[in-house]
Amino acid sequence: MTDVKSENTNHKAGWSRRDVLKATSAGAAAGVTPMFFTQNAWAEEALGNYPVKGSEVVLGFNVPQTGAYADEGADELRAYKLAVKHLNNGGGMLDTLKPSKLTGNGILGKKVTYVTGDTQTNADASRTSARRMIERDKVIMVTGGSSSGIAIAQQYLCNELGIIFMCGLTHSNDTTGKDKQRYGFRHFFNAHMTGKALSPVLSKEYGKDRRAFHLTADYSWGHTQQESMQEFTEKEGWSTAGNIMTPLKTTDFSQYLSQVLNSDADVLILNHYGANMVNSLTNAVNFGMRDMQKNGKNLEIVVPLYSRLMAKGAGSANIDGVLGTSGWNWALQDEGSKVFVKTFTDEYGFPPSQAAHTCYVQTLLYANACEMAGTFYPPEVIKALEDFKFTGAGNGETLYRGSDHQCIKNILVMQGKSPAARTSEFDYLQIVDEVDAKTVDYDPAIFGGELGPYVPA
Amino acid sequence: MDMTLNAFTLSILTGLQLGSIYVLIALGLTLIFGTLGVVNFAHGALYLIAIYLAVSINNALGFGLALILVPPILFIIGVLLERGLIQRFYDRPHTDQILVTFGLAIVIQELLKWAFGANNIPFSIPSWGNGIIFMHDYLPFLEGFVVYPKWRMILVVVAIVTVSAVFALLHLTRFGLVIRAGMRDAEMLQFLGVNINRRFMVVFGLGAMIAGIAGVFGGPVTQVSPEVGMQLLVPSFLIVVIGGMGSLGGAVLASILIGMAQSFTAPYIYINTIIIYLITVIILLVRPRGLLGAKGVFE
Repeated sequence: MTDVKSENTNHKAGWSRRDVLKATSAGAAAGVTPMFFTQNAWAEEALGNYPVKGSEVVLGFNVPQTGAYADEGADELRAYKLAVKHLNNGGGMLDTLKPSKLTGNGILGKKVTYVTGDTQTNADASRTSARRMIERDKVIMVTGGSSSGIAIAQQYLCNELGIIFMCGLTHSNDTTGKDKQRYGFRHFFNAHMTGKALSPVLSKEYGKDRRAFHLTADYSWGHTQQESMQEFTEKEGWSTAGNIMTPLKTTDFSQYLSQVLNSDADVLILNHYGANMVNSLTNAVNFGMRDMQKNGKNLEIVVPLYSRLMAKGAGSANIDGVLGTSGWNWALQDEGSKVFVKTFTDEYGFPPSQAAHTCYVQTLLYANACEMAGTFYPPEVIKALEDFKFTGAGNGETLYRGSDHQCIKNILVMQGKSPAARTSEFDYLQIVDEVDAKTVDYDPAIFGGELGPYVPA
Repeated sequence: MDMTLNAFTLSILTGLQLGSIYVLIALGLTLIFGTLGVVNFAHGALYLIAIYLAVSINNALGFGLALILVPPILFIIGVLLERGLIQRFYDRPHTDQILVTFGLAIVIQELLKWAFGANNIPFSIPSWGNGIIFMHDYLPFLEGFVVYPKWRMILVVVAIVTVSAVFALLHLTRFGLVIRAGMRDAEMLQFLGVNINRRFMVVFGLGAMIAGIAGVFGGPVTQVSPEVGMQLLVPSFLIVVIGGMGSLGGAVLASILIGMAQSFTAPYIYINTIIIYLITVIILLVRPRGLLGAKGVFE
């Protein structure tokens, strides 16, 4: 031990006066250089699970693996696994996303691994699962979910803990409205954008003199969806006959449909998603509502938020001609969509859902933001994501708006295909219109909310 | 109250058909509870098996075969369940029975989800039951245009026929006499030399078979997804309690009551979601034994 010490001492003693002066002047020069000249300057304090130790970085995929949205969750998980594969080995949208600093060599040179959790479509379960991933598995980012209530719950938790949350499928205005958080980001569109895109198509298709009755899922998403649909259909000249909030777990909607039958409404708007929509639409069809006339017009049914999985559950005979909106569809022909559909189909044997698309893109966008920031330090990654403009991810030119963390992008107006018009077992919906980002854009101030500080208190 | 006659009629019809599904599930439940004293939380899962069987057979082979095959299959499942598992819990506390049947319900639910997926499976109604009935053609006091789905009216008829058949079985046959005696005092019946256990096995199968009938006709109404069983289980249990434990007449009465209450409160979400519990509390406060609960039974 004595020898080692003396060696070290000798080494220190090897510093010449010149060396010391050189080092001092270099240090002084660095010290006086303003921070803004230094690319990616950040305070190196620990935050959330930053700094990332070791040669791997862990992402947390928290999706519904049980419960009403389990099928959607399974598809999200497939997309996440594919994203990890592409991040580590290249391929997929890494070739189409622009601008991109992704290399196919992990994130910032670290191999990407992941852990999964089950949200059970239950706020408490989703928080417990996210917390486990953050505290035990040391994930640097959490993503997933298939319900706005769950997204908002996780977003709050992640914000507190300094972990970025990349929302999965969530469509409530609240997610990037009154409940927006600095650490939460949503690529999926929202109820307001649905109302804006869908209402002109509805009035063109069904006329301006219409009376709508809403059945609405009684939680965050349903409420905002109903408000937005009412707002924009009334702007088109429609009137509203009534709205009934239906409990989320309802499977038989007859008691509510009786009220619709008894009203003078000639349009039924089903602000329901997933199994809820499947059940309410099927019930409405059983009530003869697709073959009925009211006020001398055909009674029409509208499903503001559509998905292929829902269309499949409802059956193509029931959704034939029914209008709604989607964030993305596997039939899109842009380069990003094509490469994603191809790689997903090669991997799993069937095309991806819109939930899979948004989750895949979110993972890539997070990884790219880390590369752009040159660090995993969350405030810098957040800044890289804010106001990031990109193309090649399936929705045309897209802006990750900095003021509310909402992606502003093209959305699709969809219509159910008749059984005869279908070309495959995945072909349920056709694209009626691709509404551009400018048309669905809006002032984020209308929903209030505060993003909060970059470094959580 | 600004409710029109048309609206009132629609609400009555909806109340009746909601009550019909409840009664078909609660009937089996109260039968099993009344005779065997077993709190069968797996009864909702039996209904779940029935709707998945019914939809599979219906979509592959047609509704006729589903109607012929599903109830007997459920009877056999019920008998196997009683022999293989439930009978081992007759002498165990109710908490053990609840735990084992609840656990079984979860296992069945997850197995079906694993096999069929979490999404709804469309259950197409046979052509003869499809479409709507123009109620104003039959009820002259209605003004204008009042319609109701034909299938839901068929469901009401099926419920009436099933309830009548069960009542006839219990009140007009020797088998029914023994079962009713067993409901009052099983021990005494055994002293008298009656093999009550074998009959209990049949009763369990019968309860499951009624769930089978409910599944065939109720599937298109409640829809076919793994959560349906649990969602129907809670109201059905409350109906058994409100009606009076083990009382078949009480179960029928309570089913109609709950169906009507849910139908008439539909426009008011906050009452609609709690109405069933509200009624339960009120009835249990006024009549702790339930509507038609007999003195001395399960007390």
